[in-house]
Amino acid sequence: MKIRFWGVRGSIPAPGPDTNRYGGNTSCVSVTTATGHLIILDMGTGLMHLGNHLLASEFGKGRGAATILLSHAHWDHIQGLGFFAPVFIPGNKFELRGHGRSSSMLEGILEGQMNPNFSPLYTLKNLGAAFDVHAIVPGEPFTAGGVRVTAQPNPHGTTTALAFRLDEGAASFVYASDVGYGPDGPTPAVRALYRGADALLHDTTYTPADQARRQSRGFSSYEQAADAAIAAGARRLIAFHYDQDYTDADVDALTAACRAYLDAHGGRAIELIPAAEGLELAL
Amino acid sequence: MKVRFWGVRGSIPVPGPSTNRYGGNTSCVEVRPRGAWPIIIDAGTGIRRLGKALMDERFGDGSGTAHILISHTHWDHIQGMPFFSPLYRAGNKLHVFARQRGDTHLQAVFASQTEDPYFPVPLSALEASIEFHELVEGNRFAIDKTLVTCTRLNHPWIAMAYRLDCDGAAVVYCSDTAPFSDILLEHEFISKPPTGEPLPKAIADKLAAMRASLVALCKGADLLIYDTQFTIDEYKLRPHWGHSTPEDAIAIAREAGVKTLCLYHHAPMRSDEAQDAILMAARWSAKSHGDGFNVIAAHEGLELVLGDDDGLAPVVAP
Ligand SMILES: [Zn+2]
Ligand SMILES: [Zn+2]
Ligand SMILES: [Zn+2]
Repeated sequence: MKIRFWGVRGSIPAPGPDTNRYGGNTSCVSVTTATGHLIILDMGTGLMHLGNHLLASEFGKGRGAATILLSHAHWDHIQGLGFFAPVFIPGNKFELRGHGRSSSMLEGILEGQMNPNFSPLYTLKNLGAAFDVHAIVPGEPFTAGGVRVTAQPNPHGTTTALAFRLDEGAASFVYASDVGYGPDGPTPAVRALYRGADALLHDTTYTPADQARRQSRGFSSYEQAADAAIAAGARRLIAFHYDQDYTDADVDALTAACRAYLDAHGGRAIELIPAAEGLELAL
Repeated sequence: MKVRFWGVRGSIPVPGPSTNRYGGNTSCVEVRPRGAWPIIIDAGTGIRRLGKALMDERFGDGSGTAHILISHTHWDHIQGMPFFSPLYRAGNKLHVFARQRGDTHLQAVFASQTEDPYFPVPLSALEASIEFHELVEGNRFAIDKTLVTCTRLNHPWIAMAYRLDCDGAAVVYCSDTAPFSDILLEHEFISKPPTGEPLPKAIADKLAAMRASLVALCKGADLLIYDTQFTIDEYKLRPHWGHSTPEDAIAIAREAGVKTLCLYHHAPMRSDEAQDAILMAARWSAKSHGDGFNVIAAHEGLELVLGDDDGLAPVVAP
């Protein structure tokens, strides 16, 4: 699996010179499988830049196909869809899987952001590409491009966000953005999902002090992310979904503190990778 | 009055090194009449930092009042609203103005922006008091000592242009709009550019009337802020998207006799260097026509002092 980061920011895009290094686009990560299939995790504003990049490939000719995994429908995870160039090219095919009581309810949620009050696109049906929307049943694995995908819900403020595990041969990648655990930490099912991951991408929106002040928002501090990685025996921890007010220097400080916390709590062997736009990783 | 730009980008926020100078935040302009509360035009992502700045004033202790004029409710003009800090402080008063719609109340549109599952805090849970005011084109009303007038534009689902007269100066905000020549944009979804055949007379007349109203709105304005998202080549491919070129803006500025034309709502993928070139070309074009007005391009942080204003920090009246 080849992983690339297109948007690593939480809540709202944060443009400006002081976010140039990590990037100000909201959540979007691409995974290219060994068979060459594209899996896209979340559709924040980073998706626009992934789309522009894809125009040079089969997607530019209307012969592309990809799987989109949606953790939840907060704006920062769907706002890039209307700006994703491949969706305007007939022939491209997208299978979108996400959280929802039913597939049609999930489709309705995506329709909601495209309605004419908000978007000049009016409806998903005006996108040229084909969209196949499926609600995910937690714990029921499915395959995408030879990768086995499993999802489990995490608490996230007033809603839930899906965490995804992608297994390809011996390699495993977990995407767990937007999570605010209860006092007991992750559920047993989520612990199992994280276990032994080669790379655990985890919500590190806040410093512990900011997290304590904004508990109800349903995000993690770097300590909670580090605890999850240590408990899971993960090889790598990827810091992700930085608060919109954090400058590059703030994120440097956050990740340095996370490193120190890992070292002091039995996670010395865990490689810490701060997600940044443009960063690529092979598993 | 002072005019300050907090977001100048169209369509979608664009962070990154290539937009550092002009800025990557979407539409938001603050107009500050001398000694009065702020009047904010549009609530793109730029309103987030404006909100933080306002919290250092009386909005921080819950005794602020702001009026927000919304051109239209496309995402790039409202997506910053849920991140506007004064909304989360009890006692603050917000008045939101936008065009009346046929199918639903304005308040319902804003409520649906933050309903589950899109955003964690619903409109009904905000601490500040918010009142929604629906407008129709031609409405005239006062906000404290500022006179506001408005007219409709040529854009999918229809946008409003606003003129604010105060302190012996006038500013017009005209975003988003297509020119008034090739296509009429209203409620219908249009998927393709027009064929180029002459427009039916009724439609051509309607566009001409719309344009005349806009020129009248802009008459003698000190500052005209105008949607110039497209180059001429880009416009030719997408006349049905509802945006103009600098040449369209220059023609309106000329006919209305404005003092300064400000290019605005920059295309998302436009780098700072490309925007510099567009500004230079627009200046050259106006100059070569013998136009007397200035042409500038909006960038985040740009502040202009207009009319009878000493440029000092405003003292907000109780
Ligand atoms: Zn998020
Ligand atoms: Zn979220
Ligand atoms: Zn716009």
